[in-house]
Order: sequence, then C-alpha cells, then structure tokens
Amino acid sequence: MIGVYRELEGSMRLAAHVLRRFWVLRLPPVAEEFARQIYFTGASATATIVFRGALVGTLIIAYVIDVLNADASLAVKMLLWVVLREIGPLIAAVLVIQRSGTAVATELALMKISGEVASLRNMRIDPQDYLVVPRVFGIALANMALTVYVQFIAVGGGMLLSAVIVDTSLGELAGSFFLLASPLDLVYSIAKSLLFGAAIGVIACYYGLNPPGSSINAVPKAAISAVTQATLAVMLLNVVFAYLVYGSALFGLFTAAQ
Amino acid sequence: MSAAGDVALGYEPLAEGTGRDGRLWIEPGGSHVVPAVSAAFKAALLSAVLELKPRRDVRVVVLGAELDALPPKARAGLRAQVAFLPANGGLISNLNGWENIALPVGYHAPRRLAGLAPAVYAMLEQFGADPRSLLARLPEEMTLYERKLAGYVRMRLGRPRLVLAEDLGGGLGVGERRRAAGFADAYLADCPEGTFVQLEDVADESG
Repeated sequence: MIGVYRELEGSMRLAAHVLRRFWVLRLPPVAEEFARQIYFTGASATATIVFRGALVGTLIIAYVIDVLNADASLAVKMLLWVVLREIGPLIAAVLVIQRSGTAVATELALMKISGEVASLRNMRIDPQDYLVVPRVFGIALANMALTVYVQFIAVGGGMLLSAVIVDTSLGELAGSFFLLASPLDLVYSIAKSLLFGAAIGVIACYYGLNPPGSSINAVPKAAISAVTQATLAVMLLNVVFAYLVYGSALFGLFTAAQ
Repeated sequence: MSAAGDVALGYEPLAEGTGRDGRLWIEPGGSHVVPAVSAAFKAALLSAVLELKPRRDVRVVVLGAELDALPPKARAGLRAQVAFLPANGGLISNLNGWENIALPVGYHAPRRLAGLAPAVYAMLEQFGADPRSLLARLPEEMTLYERKLAGYVRMRLGRPRLVLAEDLGGGLGVGERRRAAGFADAYLADCPEGTFVQLEDVADESG
C-alpha cells in the first residue's frame, strides 16, 4: 500500500514538474528530444497504429450491426458515440502504451542503470527537464494526432462497412453522421487523447527513472510496471471523462441495476 | 586542519572508521595526480564534491570555500565551476558525438551554440581525432579513447575552474595514453588559473 502511494505521489510530482518546467522545450537539446519523441511515437508508428485502429474500429461496427441488427440511424450513432468518442482515443492510447510506453520506460531504466542519468547530473542538467518534459509533451501531442487518424480511418471504414451491410448509400450515412456530430465531440476526444498521452508519458518516465534495482533485470520490470500502470491510468481517466460527459446517464444505469 | 582559502579541493573525514577514510588536500592551479584511489573513497569524494551537500562526517573544501559555510545559492554557483570527467567519457548513448559535446552548452547557454564548432574541431584535431567522423558517430561506435576525448572536449567547453578526471589513461593503448596525458596541459594552457585533478584507480593486480 505504501508502495502504491509512493508511486502515485512520485508520478504526481513528475507531472507537476512537467507543467512547471514546460518552457525548457525551447532549449535546443530539449527541443531535439521533443522532436525525436514526436517522430518515434507519432510519425514512425502511424502506419501500424492506424492499420490496427482501423481494423478494430471496423470490426466493432460490423459486430454491433450484426448482433443488434442495426439500421442506418443506429449505425451512425454507434460510429459517433462508440468509435469517435470512446474507441478511437482508447485504441490509440493502448497502442501508444504498447509501443512508446515500453520504449520510454526501457530506455530511461537503461540510462539510469548505465549511469547516463548521473552523467546528466554531472553536467548540471536536470534529468527531469531533459528526459521527462520532452517525452511527456511529445507523447501527448503524438497520441492526439494518432487518435485523430484512428478516428478518421475507423469512422470511414465503419461507414463503408455499414453502407454494405445495412444497404444504405454512403452519402446518406455521412450526411446523418455530420448532422449528429458536433465540434464538441472533437474537443472531447482531443482533450481526452492529450490527457491520455500525458499520463502515459509521465508514468513511463516515472518507472523508467525509478527502476526496482540497479541490475539489468530491473529494466523489464520497469517496463512491465509502466505498461500495467499506464493502462490502468488510461482506463481510470476514461471513466472520469465518461462520467463528466454522460454522468447522469451512468448514474441512471447504476441505480437501475440496484 | 589547514585553512580553506588556499585550497582547490579538500576532503577530510571528521571521524575515524566511517568507511570513507582518506584525505585529500590539493592546492589551486596545475595538474595533480592522486594515485591508487579506492572505489569507496572515490565514490565518497565525488559524491561530496559533485552533490555539494553539507556533510557531518567529512569536511569538504571546493575552490577555497568551506561547503558547510555556503548558502545553497552559492553552492550552486560553485558547482558550475567544477567538472567531472568519468573514465568512460560519460557520453549519452543515443546522441552522436556532436550532440553529446554540445549538450551542456545547449542547455545552459544556448546562445553560445552558434560559435561552438571551430573550438570543438580545433580541440579534436589537437588530440589526433578526425572531427567529421567522430562528431557523426554514436558512442557505441567510438573507441574508449574517442569517448574520453569527446567527454574531455565537452568538459572544456564548460570552462570549469576545477576538473576531476577519473582514471584518464585507464583501458588505453600506449599511444592513446600519451595523448590523453596531454589533456591536463591543454586545459591549463587555456585556463591557467584552473586545477586539473586526476584520480587514478587502484591497479588491478589480479592479472
């Protein structure tokens, strides 16, 4: 229990440091790290992440339409409420955890164990400034971009599939979708994906900089902890967001169940 | 006990049997070699000097200042004048030679970055390295001497007044060792008021 509290406190402190010291991004070496992180998490992962995201999004729509015997109107609502608002940000976040969360935790744990973090301190460079701030902002921005890609492809794929299964024209589906969608949907998913990305970055950096030991065995342990805790944090944040948006509906569901 | 004013680096345990026994008292200026430094003493010394935290068990003097007597802000100012050159050069593994060398300048004084290249090229050439090749390579693609040299050049750019170099010749061939021995002289030629301290490891007698 004390360990959990310590980890939570450590992550919160790291998050506070990132917010307090965001200006270090303008320093050339930190800006380079930031650009590298965006490239690694965002650009170099785009193809695989978008492909997997589109696959999952399309499968969900196919499954929902088949099981619920949905009509065009329900298919569009599913695309908006499930794929755009919920599944898109979640898929992007889970894939970013798998790819960048693991990589960041492993890299930082190795740097810590091999003495490179101490080397930064010897140069009077704050490791949190140089290693954490650019990674957290980089992962947050890249996760946001990936979420938008996933949403675009998943909604597009879902619409194409719906048009085939429900026997409605693509134009009609798209028209209903844009009639139902509002800019708030975009704001909601962007805010969510930014927060998911920041949480993934902070947690991966925290476990990377605090490996459970100084031997090489501590590296995979740090990566496992980062992935597990980042996944948990994303799920919890998703619940908080869902409560904020559908709060009364959720409350209604709970009371109905009782 | 000696007066602190005329000391570049002083380290004196205040109690016997602390496990950090060993005394160091180095006058300012010139190059000094501290032979046969045990790992425990080196770790205690470096921790005291580089972290610059007041300690109860040892008396630490850095550049004429008693550490205990200094307020935190003054300690930070003092730390900026002390550099440590690790035995492996202390490079960051995912940065190439140039990025490693320019890292502290880019972080502490970004405006100096523009005029950095000529000085870096000159120092690397002075010690027999091909700057274009070395600056483009990652540390894992460098020899130990090249890593030490890159760390040395990076340290020089910080213009420290006190340099602690760890086992400068360790692991090097005869020719490279001779070149590395010139690091102190080149530093002192550029910074005559500086002090260059080499901490040599205890010789490995197992082989």
